[in-house]
Amino acid sequence: MPKRIITVDDAPIIRLMIKDVLTECGGYDVIAECSNGREAVEKYKELKPDLLTMDIVMPEMDGIQALEEILKYDPAAKVVMVTAIDQRDALMKAIRLGATDYIVKPFEADRVMSAVQKALGDLK
Amino acid sequence: MDESQQVQRALQLIANLSIDKASQVLSKSIKVGAKIELENVYVADISKATEAIMVSDEGDVVGAYVDLVGDMPFKFLFYVAAEDSLTLTDLMLRKELGTTKKFDIYVTSTVQELGNILASAVTNVFASDFQIKMRPSPPKVVHDYASTVFGEYIMEAAADLNEILMIESQFRVVRMNIKCRMFLLPTGDTQKTLASIVAAA
Repeated sequence: MPKRIITVDDAPIIRLMIKDVLTECGGYDVIAECSNGREAVEKYKELKPDLLTMDIVMPEMDGIQALEEILKYDPAAKVVMVTAIDQRDALMKAIRLGATDYIVKPFEADRVMSAVQKALGDLK
Repeated sequence: MDESQQVQRALQLIANLSIDKASQVLSKSIKVGAKIELENVYVADISKATEAIMVSDEGDVVGAYVDLVGDMPFKFLFYVAAEDSLTLTDLMLRKELGTTKKFDIYVTSTVQELGNILASAVTNVFASDFQIKMRPSPPKVVHDYASTVFGEYIMEAAADLNEILMIESQFRVVRMNIKCRMFLLPTGDTQKTLASIVAAA
């Protein structure tokens, strides 16, 4: 059974790129896409995915706040942060809060796959 | 060398470093070599700067405004000819060139994301080379005539000023002849802060 993933990014092209990588990789099903942190929290509670990929800079609610909310609801949630090059402080905060891993944009397909596989224990 | 010249030199240095970083991340994003050249760092009369863009007649463009907030706030603008934004979308999505034929969410999103990535490259230089903390806000994408896009950018940033300090650059995507423009505009007390840093150095 494929593992269920939600992608969260305000840029549809990034959501599409991540979805394409995971679809090509096989074994993963992107069950929802969200464009801000608030939607992500709601969708997490509704769909209980195996993993989320989460952008940091987003309107309405950023990825850090969403991560906090999700981990408060489910401390075992697996969240891979997706960030542009200069979000070191935010990234460190995310890791301290309990983010599973991170991907830096612009990213390579291999890096997305390895982060997701590692987070879900699928890396051979 | 007077203070304003020193500030201009400091900005030129920051701009050069930022542009080198931006070239690297842009090339990585679209998997094609991109070369960014610093065109100018100058103090411009707002109306003359806007007029220059109008005269250049670049037609309609897709652009991304990003506010860089933090220790030294700047306003960032990146834009590309509307037609070329379709090619950039194909490059981002690793599709055959010519696949994207019409404007859709992925085209605006490509410009949004490139704006975000480039702005982040700039803030990275401020943080790593100058210990100045800044972060980009979510980009706002616009599709309009170059003069309108530029006019909105400049007026919003410098509503109370007659003159502004501009960092203007232009970059080309190798073999595609795609011409993009990137502007960095110090806002608020950024020029004063920079002047005090220069004076203390």
